This record gives sequence, C-alpha cells and structure tokens, in this order.
Amino acid sequence: MAEIVIETRNLTKVYRDFWGRQKVRALNALDLDVRRGEIFGLLGPNGSGKTTTIKLLLGLLFPTSGQAMVLGRDATDVSKNQRIGYLPEESYLYRFLNAEETLDFYGRLFNMPRQLRRQRTYDLIEQVKLGWAKRRQLKEYSKGMTRRIGLAQALINDPELLLLDEPTTGLDPIGIREMKDLILDLRKQGKTILMCSHRLDDVQDVCDRIAILHQGELKELGRVDALLKVRDVTEIHATRLSTQACEEVKQVIERHGGQVLSIGNPTATLEELFVKIIRESEAHPGRRIRADQHEADESGNGHAGDAQRTA
Amino acid sequence: MEITDWYLKSFDEWLRVGPINGLITIVGLFAAVLVLGGLFALLRAGPKAAVISVVWGLREALLDVARLSPRRAWAVGLLTIKESIRRKVVIVFAVFILLLLFGAWYLDPASVDPAKLYLDTVLTATCYLVLLMVLFLSTLSLPADIRSRTLHTVVTKPVRKSEIVLGRIAGFTIVGTVLLCLMGAVSYVFVLRGLMHHHQIEPADLELAEKTWSEPWEAATPRPPLRLRTTRVHGHRHFIYIEPVAKPAAEGKVRSEYPAEGSISTEMEAGHWHSFEYRFQRGPDGRARLTCTVGREEGVFQARAPVFGTLRFKDRAGKDADRGISVGEEWTYRSYIHGGTAAAAIWTFEGITEDNYPEERYPQGLPVEMTISVFRSHKGDIEKGVLGSLSVGNPRTGETVLVSMFPAKEFAVDTQFIPRKLRDKQGRMRDLFTDLADQGRLEIWLRCEDPNQYFGVAQADLYIRAHDAPFWLNFAKGYLGIWLQMLVIAAFGVMFSTFLSGPIAMLATAATLVGGMYAEEIGRVARHELYGGGPVEAFIRMVRQQNVTSEMEPGLRTTLAQMTDTALEFFLRIVAAMLPDLGKYHFADYVAHGLNVSGDMLAKCSLSVLGFLVPLFVLGYLFLKNRELP
Repeated sequence: MAEIVIETRNLTKVYRDFWGRQKVRALNALDLDVRRGEIFGLLGPNGSGKTTTIKLLLGLLFPTSGQAMVLGRDATDVSKNQRIGYLPEESYLYRFLNAEETLDFYGRLFNMPRQLRRQRTYDLIEQVKLGWAKRRQLKEYSKGMTRRIGLAQALINDPELLLLDEPTTGLDPIGIREMKDLILDLRKQGKTILMCSHRLDDVQDVCDRIAILHQGELKELGRVDALLKVRDVTEIHATRLSTQACEEVKQVIERHGGQVLSIGNPTATLEELFVKIIRESEAHPGRRIRADQHEADESGNGHAGDAQRTA
Repeated sequence: MEITDWYLKSFDEWLRVGPINGLITIVGLFAAVLVLGGLFALLRAGPKAAVISVVWGLREALLDVARLSPRRAWAVGLLTIKESIRRKVVIVFAVFILLLLFGAWYLDPASVDPAKLYLDTVLTATCYLVLLMVLFLSTLSLPADIRSRTLHTVVTKPVRKSEIVLGRIAGFTIVGTVLLCLMGAVSYVFVLRGLMHHHQIEPADLELAEKTWSEPWEAATPRPPLRLRTTRVHGHRHFIYIEPVAKPAAEGKVRSEYPAEGSISTEMEAGHWHSFEYRFQRGPDGRARLTCTVGREEGVFQARAPVFGTLRFKDRAGKDADRGISVGEEWTYRSYIHGGTAAAAIWTFEGITEDNYPEERYPQGLPVEMTISVFRSHKGDIEKGVLGSLSVGNPRTGETVLVSMFPAKEFAVDTQFIPRKLRDKQGRMRDLFTDLADQGRLEIWLRCEDPNQYFGVAQADLYIRAHDAPFWLNFAKGYLGIWLQMLVIAAFGVMFSTFLSGPIAMLATAATLVGGMYAEEIGRVARHELYGGGPVEAFIRMVRQQNVTSEMEPGLRTTLAQMTDTALEFFLRIVAAMLPDLGKYHFADYVAHGLNVSGDMLAKCSLSVLGFLVPLFVLGYLFLKNRELP
C-alpha cells in the first residue's frame, strides 16, 4: 500500500455569519485518503464542497471540526507548503507583473537561490509555451495564457503534491489536451495530484481514483475503471475485419447465447478530431481543405478511425 | 512657538518614564487581545478548547515570529514596491512639483520672516502628501489582494503571515523613503533659490559716499557715520553704516575720518544681514572711488542648538514660587512676572565653564537669546519697549550681578552677551566662570523693571546659544520627522488592512492620523486639563452658550453629565495612550524657527516610533493569521 499523502478525518466546515449563526454546512464529516503517486479527482456539482475541501487542505480555511493532514502535517502548518503546488480555480496572480517576474516572485517565496530561480523560470515558461509573451504584463494575457502561467507558478518548487482546482477551465481544446497530458506526465514523475473538476470527461481521462461529493457529503469513492465498468457488457476492438468476418463473429456470439447490441465503426471524439486538425495545420501551414475531401469526410470515409467496434 | 517638555527633556530623563508607560500600554493591549480571543474560544468551544487554543496560538505566534525569513519578507517588500510603481505612485511627486511651482507665486520673499514661510510650506506640503500617499497605498493593497484572491496563491507558498505583514510595511516604507528623498532634494533647492538674493549699493549713495569720504572733518562734534543703502530686492533693503575714526586735533576739536577699507555687516532686515566689504581709493584725478561688494545673506538658514536651563520664579515679595502670575488665556504655556517688584524668573544652567565656553569661540561672552512676551496692564509709552533687566547669580552664595537693562523686543529673538568680567554694585570685578558660576551652575535672572507691566516667560524662552548646527542637516532632520510619521501610518495602515476591508481600513487609518495630530489635546481632555470640563459638559455649555470657566449649576443633570464625562475620560485616556502623538515627530516648526533638532530628540522619537511598530506588526500578524481566506 502506497504512503498516504492526504488524510482527512471527519472533516467538517460550517460557514457562519457575523453573529455566529450557521449559514451553510459546506462539508460534512469527510473521510478521505490520497495515496502517493496517484491522480485523485474530486467530483461534484457546483456548491458540493470540492473547493472548500481543497481550501481546507491548503489551510486557507480552518475546519469547524475534524482534521486534515497533508504530507504528514496539519493542514494549517505553513511548512507543508514547501512541498506542494496549488493551481487555484482562476489564476489569482498579480496582473501588474509579467510572466518572468511572477515566477521569480513565487520562487523567492521558496527561498530559492537566484540561479535556480532563473533556471526554473526559464524552463517553466518554455514548458507552458509562453516564451513569446514572457515580458508582457499578465493583465494583457488571455484567459488560457493566464491559466498556463498559473500552472507554471504551481510547479515552481517542483512539488511532490499538486492541488489543481478546475485545471482545464478557460483552456481551448488543445490546451485541455496538453493540460491532461501534463497531468499524466507529472504522475509518471511520481507526483501526487489532487484535482477537482465538474468536467467529467477530464476526470475520467486522467484520474486513477475519484470521490463524488454532493451537498458537502461524500457519495462515492473508488477507482475510476472499477466504478465505470459495465459488468454485463463485453467490448471487442478489432481491425482489418471484413463484413463477412463481422457476420461470422456475430453468429458465434449468438451461438454462445450472447446478444449483439451493435456492430459498426467507432467514432472519434470531437476533441480528437480538433486536435488532429490543428496539429496538421501547424505542420503544414497554408494548406486548405479541398471540396472533394470535405465531401469524402461527410460520407464517413474521412478522419474516423479504422477500427470496428462490436459490443 | 511653544516648545514643549518633549523638546526640552533629555533622552536620559525621558528614558526613565516614556518607555515604561509605552510598555504598560503594549502589555495591556496584548493582555486584552488574549482575553478577548480566549473569551471568543470559550463561547464557541468550551473552556478546555479555549485554553488549548490560546496556548497553541501563543506558541504558533512565537514560532512564526522567530522563524521569520528576511528573504521572503523582502520578496513581499519588492512586490509591494513594484505594485506601487506600476500603480503610478510617481504621480504624487508630480503633484508635489506642481504645488511648488504654483506655491512659488504665493510665497512672498518680502514677508517678515521668509525663511520660516518657505520652510513651513515645503515641510508641511511634503508631510501631507507623503502621509496621504502611504495612507492610501497601505490600506488598499492587502484588502485588494484578499478580494481578488491573489493572496491565496501567495499564502499557499511557504511564506508566513508575519513575513507578509513585515514585507508590506517595509515595501511601503521604501517607496515613501525614495519619494521623500526626492521631495527633500527638490525642496532644498526650492528654498535656497527662493531666498538667495543679491543686493547692490544704490548708485546715488555710492556717489555721495565718495564725495563725503574725500571731505575732511574737523569739528567739536564727531562726524556722523557714513550711510549707504542697498538696492531693494525681495521687498527689502539694508542700511550700511561706516563708523568714522576720531583723532584729537588742535583747539579741542576732533578730526574724524572714515576708514579707507573694511569688512563690516549690513543692518539686519527681514531676518537676515549681508557681509559688506569696501575700499576707497583716490584716482589719478584726485577723486575718491569706492569699490564694494555686498556678500551673501546670513542668518537666514540657521539651526541654533540651544542649551536650556531649568526655570523657577520669585513672587512679588521675593519669595520662591513654582509659577508666576496668571494673566488669563496665555497662562497655559507662559508664566508672568510683575514689573517693578521683587518678582523674577530665574533659569539655572549647568556646565557653564571656561572649557565649554572658551574665549576664542565666544569672544563677546556667553551668548544668551530670549523671546519675551510682554503683557501691558497700561499703555505706557507704546513707542518704547517695556524695560527689563538681566542679571547673573551664583546659585550657592545668592550673589547677583547686573548684566544689562534693555527694552524688551516683542515677537522677536533678542540676543544678549554676558561678558566674562562683570562689575558688581560695590565696583568689584567678578569673573563669570570662577566667581559667579558654582561648579558650572549659573543662574540668569530676568526682571521686569517697568512698574505694573508684566513679562511672560516659559522655560524655553531663554537659552544659551552654544553653537549652530549645519542648516542642511537640520533640514534633513525635518524630513526624518516626516519619515517617522510615515512609518507609523504605514504600520497602522497595514495592520488595519489585515482585518478590515479597504475603505474601512482607510477610514480607520485616517482617524488615527487625525487623532495622532491632536493626540496631545485628546490627552489633555482625558486628564481634565482643559477649561469647560469633559465632552458632555462641554457640549452642554456649547448648547446653552455658557462660558467655559463658570461653575455648572449643581443638580442631577450636572452630576449625570460629570459622571458620564468621568467614564468617557477613562476611555479617552486609553485612546490617547494608544494614539501615536504625530505632533511630536513633526519637526517642521523647529526647522522653520531655526532651532536645531537635537540627537536626543531624534533618539526619543525613534524609540517611541519603534514602540508603535513592534506591537502593530504583531497585531497585524495575529489578525492575518487568524483570518480565513474563502
């Protein structure tokens, strides 16, 4: 069993008004463990307590009762911040600073020596592809650019644990794909990631385990693949299968008492299509779509995958 | 100008009282914070949790302050500086330059004391501008970070709340310091250029002088001095008198001649004088030619470093008294002595020795300056000043020797020199340092000689002008005073902004600023030292148009008002103890009046400012630490 990096026990947060009267119970007795090296997703509709949980783990809010431990320390202990990175819901950064100054400032807060600060700043700006705009003040940045520099500041200290609040918000499809790739890449590097999102596809794509919150209470917890597995349906993916072969497979299934639900060519996601077009366009700038190609696409012979799916 | 005890008391004297009072206030304040915090926790979570939270909170606070990293604090400070620059703080400097440009139209160098006017204006304008700027910056910055949630990204890094508060205060201080230095340099040039001027000699006077100088004078009466007038510049002109040298001639006559060359001074005008060098020469045609130069203005930019004595009084009958006579309103600062009686004001000075006042440096004797307030009970001769006398006395033997009789100069500084050798009533020569001073202690007696007129004096009204400090240094000290005020306001602004929203923090700091400017007055109301009673009583008097000195009618209403006042005065005492007395750090009056701001004064002010900074920093840290950032 991997080491537990985040642990909450009976974690409860009640918001009160000025007179101490209860306004809302944002989180109720949350018990959660996040293990080293996994990507953990917090899911839930708006107001379900996702952001409150993250803020409690960061020590921005104080629990009404219960306990939150991060990297073996109490969540309100400042020294834990040395090993964590946080990307807030919207990148709350100083808009009068430029990208370099921003990263330099956050590097200073980690007492990083100047040389290291410069190196990290350079590497991260390259990594988030903002080299062309590194001297521009953040107030001139688009939402996606701000999100990317936000991610760079979260990585400035090469953290063991990353807390990402709605990491894909405000990004275009390419940005979303890159963000997801980066998250997966960070896991490969051994980092632990806790992310919250209400974009279910994002969570499904990258998370190992998820917790579903609703009205401040934990409703579901477990591995994504296990939770999503439809146990009474079998999926076969095959390639270079003729129509006759398909018919034979269908007959074999029926002979064994099974029922074929559908058989045909799978469709790619719109995200996959979009990313493919943009990447081709970047590789061959100036090339336009031809009318005959467009028609071929419409008739179904275009970008769709070659695989046939039988379910 | 009233010189208070704050200026007169030495650092050592103040050290025995001031810091103790400050410490009592600070300890009281933190005890109140702990008790309130404990009570809050008690109400919320019960007694056990309250004790744990108070003890844990104290431990955390101590650890946080002890582990403070100057580098991280500096990072926050640097961010604050960048923020101020990008928010166009330089506009304040532009406004200041504009103020000076337009101010130059209205500042009249022909006024009675132009140096005072100029210095007062630049120092006050700088003070208000810088304080307002720091007030705005320090109160709006942190709440803006909290509102826009940029602070979320900062506090999730290993930065401590103490470092944020310290960095903010330091950042605003650096911005203010740079701005203050720039303003100081510009002001210095502005004052110098505004007041420096050059006179010529009136051509008609020049011609007349050349003619007069050539004419021989041999008569029974001495020749009158040769008078020259300078040209009128900055609304004034100076007179120059060249005294003749008399030599006895035949038949009891006197031959008077003006010296052919010399280096003298012009008469004083508009608070200053000029050096004057001249030379008469005969040309080949036998006519006299005068070549002369009027030098730079002197006495404009000065920083007198006074040595003060302690003051006591003799009443009309010559008996010792703590104070003089009250003549009404002015009683609060000055005490009055009755003319033509045995009443006297006696200053006792220490350190009056030959070593401290060597003849080479003080050839005319001990320089004494005084500002006397005259209260006339009858008009008398309005053209003549009220006559006074100055004597010196030995504090041990009681022997006194008259130094001079003089007509009092009202509203002006009068300089007198006490010669080294003085002749007593019996005609004996007495030495100032060996016969009259007793181990360096010397008394100076002031009497009013006109019957039924009064002299009003305070301790600082008569002093020995031991030496002068460089003017530029005193000018810089004036700016240092503004810097100290700025530091206090920045700390208050940041402290308030840790738990209040921007506009409310600004109001609270502005209230502190205004309260601080009137802290002395608030203290006097709290101590019941003002006429008219406490706030409620004063209000009743105002509504009923009652004068401030008559007794209130006895009755329930009066008793209730006075009881409420007692309670309010207790509250006011606490407020007065916690308010920074900004007036104490405002040295503009001293600089403008040409009084040196002593090292003692700076030490007192710096220590008392530190006494505010430390608790404000700790309070700001505690508020920010215990604040949630939703």
